[in-house]
Amino acid sequence: MEGVAVTGMGIISAIGRDVEEAHFSLKIGKDGISYPDILSTIHQNLPVGEIKLSNSELSEILNLPEDHAYTRAALLGVYAIRELLENSGMERFPGDTGFISGTSVGGIDKTEEHFYNYKENVADRKYIQAQHPGFTTEKIAEYFGINGMVTTISTACSSSANAIMMGAQMIESGKLKRVIVGGSDCLTKFTLNGFNSLKILSENKSRPFDNEREGLNLGEAAGYLLLEAEDQMAGENILGRVVGYGNANDAFHQTASSENGEGAFNAISRALKKAGLSASEVDYINTHGTGTRNNDLSESVALKRVFGDHIPEFSSTKGYTGHTLGAAGAIEAIFSLLSIQNGKIFPNLNFSNKMAETNLAPVTEIKSKHIETVLSNSLGFGGNCTSLIFQ
Amino acid sequence: MSIELSIINSVTIRDSKVYKNGQLIFKSEPDLVISKFLKGIYRDQNLKYPKFFKMDSLSKFGYLGVEILTNANIQDKETALIFANSASSLETDEAYARTMAEFPSPSLFVYTLPNIMLGEISIRHQLRSENIFLVSEAFDPALFIDYSRGLFQQEKADKVLCGWVNLHNNEYDVFLWEIARSGGIDFNEEELKKLYLPTHE
Repeated sequence: MEGVAVTGMGIISAIGRDVEEAHFSLKIGKDGISYPDILSTIHQNLPVGEIKLSNSELSEILNLPEDHAYTRAALLGVYAIRELLENSGMERFPGDTGFISGTSVGGIDKTEEHFYNYKENVADRKYIQAQHPGFTTEKIAEYFGINGMVTTISTACSSSANAIMMGAQMIESGKLKRVIVGGSDCLTKFTLNGFNSLKILSENKSRPFDNEREGLNLGEAAGYLLLEAEDQMAGENILGRVVGYGNANDAFHQTASSENGEGAFNAISRALKKAGLSASEVDYINTHGTGTRNNDLSESVALKRVFGDHIPEFSSTKGYTGHTLGAAGAIEAIFSLLSIQNGKIFPNLNFSNKMAETNLAPVTEIKSKHIETVLSNSLGFGGNCTSLIFQ
Repeated sequence: MSIELSIINSVTIRDSKVYKNGQLIFKSEPDLVISKFLKGIYRDQNLKYPKFFKMDSLSKFGYLGVEILTNANIQDKETALIFANSASSLETDEAYARTMAEFPSPSLFVYTLPNIMLGEISIRHQLRSENIFLVSEAFDPALFIDYSRGLFQQEKADKVLCGWVNLHNNEYDVFLWEIARSGGIDFNEEELKKLYLPTHE
């Protein structure tokens, strides 16, 4: 079989602290949406997909010294990669392991916590450098002693999907034998206020693809996959394969998608071409489906353009986790692999009415089905659209 | 098997000066505020693109760099964009964060991602090609080389525009170059470093 092997994965999100917990929540339709407890914000009315572990609890679980300088995104990233390492069956990552991590927020959480104290409080100054998005990646790499190629991708909500694409490309070109790919983003006041200022946050649980959808819920998560060249595997089991990927710019607006879904249409078409698959061979689509008026309509139009009258069964899993920004592509890659492994389509939560413009209905009840091929979309601000295909 | 590629054009914007292919093409008085320096380049190049005035400074640098690099004309719409920097969108992040105390500004928030620059360039030239934005501590030629080679190898593009566009604390460092299969200087680490650091040699 063609493609790049996935030999490990790890995830932490609002629906669970490992792959098994996430899978359980997906199966029983249990979302992780709540009001903010850990993020201190005046916007108590805005639902979020928050991980109910404070930074000090996370630090304790990870055995970090008290004076560490890990950002929340770094803590979540380390947490998820510990699971990945465990289920890959390896003791530690070999020296030639690469690391490509996507993030949109980086260490902004630490800056907003400590910015006004830097003058007086010398101890907090260790966080000044944490603002740099690469700092979060370097901290994670340092924890696991990874000193191969380490880099950070920042392309908004498609960051970690692009990390997967870049990793697969590096393996196929023979540049790397194995690489950890994915992303980590945490909730911050910065993003909550920003998305709120764009008026695209819902005061209720998000309702992807529903005619009355009123916006997204922000979430936080970290998700990582271990990709390996099949002839040089160190991991024990192949959990799935990345067989296709495509990226395209929508070239329309900084933060809105085009009416004809041009970017998504091109990304999906390129991913299919790369995989050597026809549209009819896709068994299930894990959509971007954020729950905003704009995204869900644009993405639906793109699906109609690619698949015509035969759109495969699809759902958005953002109703479970919230929109986890730079981490979304990676956690949804893991959900896609779970769909294949278990022969299940996880339902699109909170949907009741089809969109008037497109008349499309996602899968709303858990469904058993033999699934070989899954398409996963990640569409980001800046028009950055990425589609991945897993088998 | 690694393929041979060529750098066919380059632009550097540094210390109040703009160079194209090593030739000084614009110079402003030193210590001019950045917004005025950027407007000066825009006027000097005789550009007519009102969207320029809505962009943040990072996007303006990227936009101007590409206009100069390509003579404001990208014929091949499959031209891919590989950009990177060190400070991400920090300059605008800070400006937006200052508005959070009162009323968070949506027009600033949309620029708090470095890849918005790629969106602006793609909108300007109607490119629906592959693009990526990487963040690394310092200019890293190997990263650009590996990524571009991958694109050419997979025949995803015949032209690639690369850019290191960094801006922080009013200090900017802008270096863009265009890669094709042939017709210029060899595209390797050594040549790239030479182009990037001509003044320090």
